[in-house]
Amino acid sequence: MFDFVIRRLLALMPVLFVVLVIVFSLVRFIPGDPAVTLLGPGATESQVAALRAQLNLDAPLLQQFLEYLTGLIQGDMGRSLKSGKPVADEILARLPATLEISVFAVLIAIVVGIPIGILSATRPNSGFDHLVRVVSLVGVSIPAFLLALLLQLIFATWLGLLPVSGRMSAYLFVEPVTGFALIDAWLSGESGAIRSVLVHLVLPTSVLAAFLAATLGRFVRTTMLEVMTEDYIRTARAKGLTWSTVVYGHALRNSLLPAITVVGLKFAEMLGGAILTETIFAWPGIGRFMFEAIRNRDYPVIQGTTLVFALLFMLTSVVVDIIHAMLDPRVRGKMR
Amino acid sequence: MNDLIRFFRINTLATAGTSILACLLVAILLGPFVGIASPLELNMAERLQPPSADHLFGTDSFGRDMLARIIHGGRYTLAIGLGVVVVAFIVGVFFGTIAGFLGGIADMVIMRIVDAILSFPALVLAIALAAAFGPSLQNAMLAVAITLAPQFARLARSQALGVSVKPYVEAAVSLGLPKHRILWRHVLVNAIGPLLVQASLSVGSAILQTASLGFLGLGAQPPLAEWGADVSANLQFVRSSPWTALGPGFAILTTVLCFNLIGDALADWFNPRRRSEM
Repeated sequence: MFDFVIRRLLALMPVLFVVLVIVFSLVRFIPGDPAVTLLGPGATESQVAALRAQLNLDAPLLQQFLEYLTGLIQGDMGRSLKSGKPVADEILARLPATLEISVFAVLIAIVVGIPIGILSATRPNSGFDHLVRVVSLVGVSIPAFLLALLLQLIFATWLGLLPVSGRMSAYLFVEPVTGFALIDAWLSGESGAIRSVLVHLVLPTSVLAAFLAATLGRFVRTTMLEVMTEDYIRTARAKGLTWSTVVYGHALRNSLLPAITVVGLKFAEMLGGAILTETIFAWPGIGRFMFEAIRNRDYPVIQGTTLVFALLFMLTSVVVDIIHAMLDPRVRGKMR
Repeated sequence: MNDLIRFFRINTLATAGTSILACLLVAILLGPFVGIASPLELNMAERLQPPSADHLFGTDSFGRDMLARIIHGGRYTLAIGLGVVVVAFIVGVFFGTIAGFLGGIADMVIMRIVDAILSFPALVLAIALAAAFGPSLQNAMLAVAITLAPQFARLARSQALGVSVKPYVEAAVSLGLPKHRILWRHVLVNAIGPLLVQASLSVGSAILQTASLGFLGLGAQPPLAEWGADVSANLQFVRSSPWTALGPGFAILTTVLCFNLIGDALADWFNPRRRSEM
């Protein structure tokens, strides 16, 4: 198992290298002189020179890249053009907020998506099955920003049940210890703090979870229907095992393994969705940070957030592979 | 072909999707001839009017007719969906087939780049690229195409790998045919089916991604009647006049849903096991 993890990490290195090249190149994709473009037409020559120096655009390309790499290894992602603070610190401060909604969204998606897929596959072509198929297809087709708007309108504006946006009620003062609002609220011991945080979490996590739950439901349904036609299912039935033993003991196990991979891969797409969701719900995570950076043309921040999103994704896919290998010995063998 | 038509007939959802898209296409083509208002015509006296007989979908904060803007925006959306997928398809299939057929160093270099692009959440990379290229509809489309192409490359590579060990390709090689000819005339032609399914499934996500860039201000710029940009332009009025933002939003949902219905049906069609189930 240890061998597998090491090999998986080594296999990641060339990909990580290309990822770094892409992120490094982002500023260089700006048409014309990036410094002139960023500062606008009114910039003086000394301002342009200062920005070129700050973005490290004057050295030869290879040297720029090497310096970028050395910086990264030391945890230096450059400084924000807007706030002047180190990008790495700014991202670290916002990471817990993004992880908080992402983790809750994944949990909701698993709890909702998988059972729906199973129920749908065990009753193919029933009314429930058709309903699930249509709803899940809408779930993968709806733009995240539309779903967010609809939920805000219905549950916040019209029904007044949930807050429109934000992370907790403004009158609450909770000391940010860990950065995770829920844990901080619990630590603060302030009455109503936990409830306030939970209530604020409902809408943004639902929006994030919707796409993942719909994808999972569709995927589990399809794999399970295919697994049900396998020979070993027929054998199990022929042996006289009960229908529920066959479905939950044989079919389910074999359909859920690939579902783990889907959760991992779609988790990444969900992170992309966090940019839209966090922006709409004024959620102080790295998604909204990236959106603000785009508005301010703050390229060091855009580079930093893009890299962090990619690293989170790569990390997820390694973890998914490891879980997969733990559950399925065939996968471990294949990596040799 | 007859089989395919019959298949669509049995598959009600796919037929519904095709019909709705056909209606949208007719509206786009005939709109200008049957007196649909201009999507750019300002009329401040009639700003933020709710849906009525005069303005079926209401008006926005500049008094522009929302129905006209949605129908007009449909042009961009269809052009975006098809344009992005065609570019991604050509680029992805080109490199993927080469990687699968030639193998060796070409395969390694191409696939590492593919892996790297796939290591970014698609929307994040599209946003970062669009931000670097500068905000415009063309740049947004290019950015989305770049994030979509690797999926085609991966699929084309595995298809090419599978086909290139078939006896007829070996025969072509032993006949001494030039590589490029074997590649296009024998390998690609036989690998095309699953690629077309992937293409039809990608149209929906191409539209969604480009609309998301438009929503974030990185795609089409005002006063262009693009749906994603229209949703975000009307965001500040959404609580008092919800139709302004919801109209274009639902237009995106409907179109993407239709393309996904058709893509799903085609995927079933190319899957022999499920085709026999129908």
